[in-house]
Amino acid sequence: MNLRENKIFKIQEIRELTESAFVLRFDRHRLNFVAGQHILIGLDESAELREYSVYSGEKDNFLEVLVKEVEDGSVSKQLKKLKVGDPIQVESAVGFFRIGKEDIDKNLLFIASGTGIAPFHSFVTSYDDLNYTLLHGIRYASEAYESDIYENHRYISCVSKDNKGTFQGRVTDYLKENKIDKNTLVYLCGNSDMILESKDLLEEQGISNEHIFTEVYF
Amino acid sequence: MIKYHLVTLGCQMNMSDSERVRAVLDGLGYIWTDKEEEAGLVGILACSVRQKAIDKVYNRISKWNKWKDKRNLITFVSGCLLPADRDKFLKLFDLVFPMSELNQFPDMIRQYGVVTPFGLEQEHSSEKEVIKKAQAIPDFVSPKKIEFNTGKKMSELNIHIEDFWDVEPNYASNFEAFIPIQNGCDKFCTFCAVPYTRGREVSRSSEDILNELKRIVDQGFKSITLLGQNVNSYGLDKGDEEISFTELLEKIGEYGNQSGKEFWLYFTSPHPRDMGEEVIEVISKYNCLAKQIHLPAQSGDDNVLIRMNRKHSVDKYWQIIHAIHKHIPQATIFTDIIVGFTGETDEQFQNTLKLMEEVKFNMAYIAMYSPRPGAASSRWSNDIDQEIKKKRLHASSEVLRKHSLVYNKKLVGQSRKVLVKGQDRKEGYLSAYTEGRIVVRFKSTNTKQIGSFVDLKITSATSLSIEGELIETWKD
Repeated sequence: MNLRENKIFKIQEIRELTESAFVLRFDRHRLNFVAGQHILIGLDESAELREYSVYSGEKDNFLEVLVKEVEDGSVSKQLKKLKVGDPIQVESAVGFFRIGKEDIDKNLLFIASGTGIAPFHSFVTSYDDLNYTLLHGIRYASEAYESDIYENHRYISCVSKDNKGTFQGRVTDYLKENKIDKNTLVYLCGNSDMILESKDLLEEQGISNEHIFTEVYF
Repeated sequence: MIKYHLVTLGCQMNMSDSERVRAVLDGLGYIWTDKEEEAGLVGILACSVRQKAIDKVYNRISKWNKWKDKRNLITFVSGCLLPADRDKFLKLFDLVFPMSELNQFPDMIRQYGVVTPFGLEQEHSSEKEVIKKAQAIPDFVSPKKIEFNTGKKMSELNIHIEDFWDVEPNYASNFEAFIPIQNGCDKFCTFCAVPYTRGREVSRSSEDILNELKRIVDQGFKSITLLGQNVNSYGLDKGDEEISFTELLEKIGEYGNQSGKEFWLYFTSPHPRDMGEEVIEVISKYNCLAKQIHLPAQSGDDNVLIRMNRKHSVDKYWQIIHAIHKHIPQATIFTDIIVGFTGETDEQFQNTLKLMEEVKFNMAYIAMYSPRPGAASSRWSNDIDQEIKKKRLHASSEVLRKHSLVYNKKLVGQSRKVLVKGQDRKEGYLSAYTEGRIVVRFKSTNTKQIGSFVDLKITSATSLSIEGELIETWKD
């Protein structure tokens, strides 16, 4: 999309997923993105923007982001107050966390913590027949955001604070107990501690650095 | 006659921008003064890399606004501004604008010239009050015109950047110049605020770049630096409509061959992620493309690079270094290093030292990490003790010195073509640099040599300084 056109992006829908997490759907206009990229959003009259991975798919005629209200955050608190019809500011998509065309039919392991699941949601809704497994690290099973879109056998919730998930423990515990095929391409998205610990475990299992792709949330 | 004074803070990009600001003001008939006390128009190009630089802006405007009690003065601020600072500056400065709006600067000044009488009380007025008063004056600006002062939307930061590039700069030197080829950044390194101050990457047209380059080479410029936040992602934002950075270098190389002019072409900064072997190959092919590569590493540890969101690994960095060694073994290699980044362990720092030991950089700009307001990492704890940062800075500086000394000693006895830059701090000496940007001083009081190539025989070297003797001055 040519930003010179200065389109107004309006909220179309808000889906509350938990007390603090929600999906914002808004106009797409002609904004192009590749699944896995992020956009910058903020209140229309605000000067402050934050990066959010696109949650929706490449073929959708709307854009969605998955937001978690952060206690000491400024932008997420503002976004939480938005209503349907409100305008927001949207900056064009950038980022390199994406699946290369040559890798689309390979064995893929997606590892997310919390809202780090957003780019994987975009992958799965953008590309048909992906051969993936998704490990989702969350504290409570109730945080398995819209997990019904993933095939049951592909989505593994790693729940650390209750026993209602597929696996009880952190994603790093799962990696310690389960062997990952060394030809797997691994995509990690979420907080940096999870990413760095997982990366060490994957490398111990023989996954090469070149097969590991990361997107740090902060 | 109205005089102006401009304070430029920060990096080469701001230095380059200041040349265009001065061109606009000179074109309006304002006269430059080194003394801000004499100026009727004072401005500052701000830098948001560190809080200290922003504090300097606040100190300056506080002083300038006090002067307004005694005389008419128009103040402006531009440059690298975070949105939050920009909003605060709106209440302190007469004019606040993104650099991309520079071509509207004459209009802004004319309009504010009218409102200067009540500009005296502006310090205590809100922006709305100022606009209201301004509209009450006949022939004043329409409300639409004053919108560029608000500058709130990041997405609009670069809308007029191409108009900005159309401004012909007043180069600060007559033999060295910067040519901006790109503005903004899409990389979002967690320690850096540039994506929030300069917006998304926008590439300047290659035709304009080449025209500017040819014009200044014709004028006798000897050292030209292509500037951008990530020069090697040049053209990517334009898709098939623009050539790549490699192709741009190739065109410059061809022009260098055809023109018969002697000049050195540098570029800064490349990002390792987008740096391919083809760039190195092109540099090796053309004499005018200087054999000096500034390749920021930031860290020699993969986990730190992940936290920095650098999108390159140490392996990738080494691939580029190997390509440099293969195609241009004579090249000097410079880098940027941050020590004490959030969470950096001793072991991770040792990996940075290891990288420095193995690459043997000629120069490294080493900084102790400090959170930059607005950058993502400023939301993380700055958890490395200042004393540890100092020790790491010292240790990495020692490694740099060790290897630069070895390189510099090897130059002793050799002759080198150098570009004379100016007078050296040592009296009776001139300062020059080699194609690899290694600084050399030589005994001479002939200031006519400044801006010329000369041949020197290197006579002595330490880790930080090299001396030579004049062999020959090149004729243009």
